[in-house]
Amino acid sequence: MSEEQLAARIKEIIVETLALEDVAPTSIETDAPLFGEGLGLDSIDALELALAFHKEFGVRTQENDENNREYYRSVASLVKFITDKQAEAASSES
Amino acid sequence: MVATCSTRSNPLDLAFRLGRLVAVLVTVVAYLLLAPFGQITLALLSWLWRKDPARRARRLQTFTSRAYRFMHWWLSLSRIIAFDWRRTAANLPPGPCVVIANHPTLVDVTAITAALGGAISIVKPGVYNRAMIKPLLAGLGHVEGPGADPIRAGKVVDDIVERLSWGLPVVIFPEGTRSPPGGIEPFGRVAFEAALRAQVPLVSLGLRCDPVYLSKDVPPLRPPHPMPQLTIELLSVEDPEDADSSRTQRARAEERYRTWTSEVAAPPSNS
Repeated sequence: MSEEQLAARIKEIIVETLALEDVAPTSIETDAPLFGEGLGLDSIDALELALAFHKEFGVRTQENDENNREYYRSVASLVKFITDKQAEAASSES
Repeated sequence: MVATCSTRSNPLDLAFRLGRLVAVLVTVVAYLLLAPFGQITLALLSWLWRKDPARRARRLQTFTSRAYRFMHWWLSLSRIIAFDWRRTAANLPPGPCVVIANHPTLVDVTAITAALGGAISIVKPGVYNRAMIKPLLAGLGHVEGPGADPIRAGKVVDDIVERLSWGLPVVIFPEGTRSPPGGIEPFGRVAFEAALRAQVPLVSLGLRCDPVYLSKDVPPLRPPHPMPQLTIELLSVEDPEDADSSRTQRARAEERYRTWTSEVAAPPSNS
């Protein structure tokens, strides 16, 4: 899956998981902040997304990771987080 | 409704203001001197009752709420800030519940805890993890907040649900910070999620300090005139069976508080 495809899937997951009725996945900007001023998500939303990403991509978000806020900053940062974690998992398996 | 600083500067008025400033200084010094004894007593009791965390938290909360009642009695007596916890307590539902409130002053937690007869709070990680007070906060059952890590919210919700199962009310300021004068910040969802999962009532309290004091803009050493009155109004009690989702509950609560603050909350005075 290319980064563009991954970003598009992440946007779909955000809309599906959080039941954002008035938001189209394509209207979410890849670099826009997800929390606060941007999409206005909160910490419970982040938790629900973490579970959804684990289910979809097999990527686990560790509690108490000081980088979590950065990982969940935007769709672009989530793309990087997921690709990095998947690469880590692939290298540890090989 | 809005109390403002008196513009008169007659000798009696000046003497009154000076007297209140002295009362504030005496109270601050007395607190600094006596607080260590209170903390040592709490530490000893916490150690003595260490076998059962739930029972320990309930007992220590009773102890703390009585200390807060004494503190507010003194603050009223010394004309620093008036607050009658009995008036608030009479309106509150019994048993475990999630209490949400706006957060205009420094003494909101002590006032609500005094009225409830003990309450769990969410404490910022930077404060919770201070070596000297962490055992006391843990003994009292207080919950470490999520801080900047959004994923920690799950642990926070789990901890709150556990404390509610101990039979204790949990106080949460959904804004996560002090309220701006005459308004509110956007609400987080932890309080609503916890109330929904624990199936306990969600109690909304509206706090007002008139004239404004102990806020971000009016620190302790600038007591306004006349004597500030802290009041706590019961805005609503929502039955858990009426709650559909934490998202809609949050939206309803935000609207309720916006309406309430626009109607009654006092803007800052210039004292």
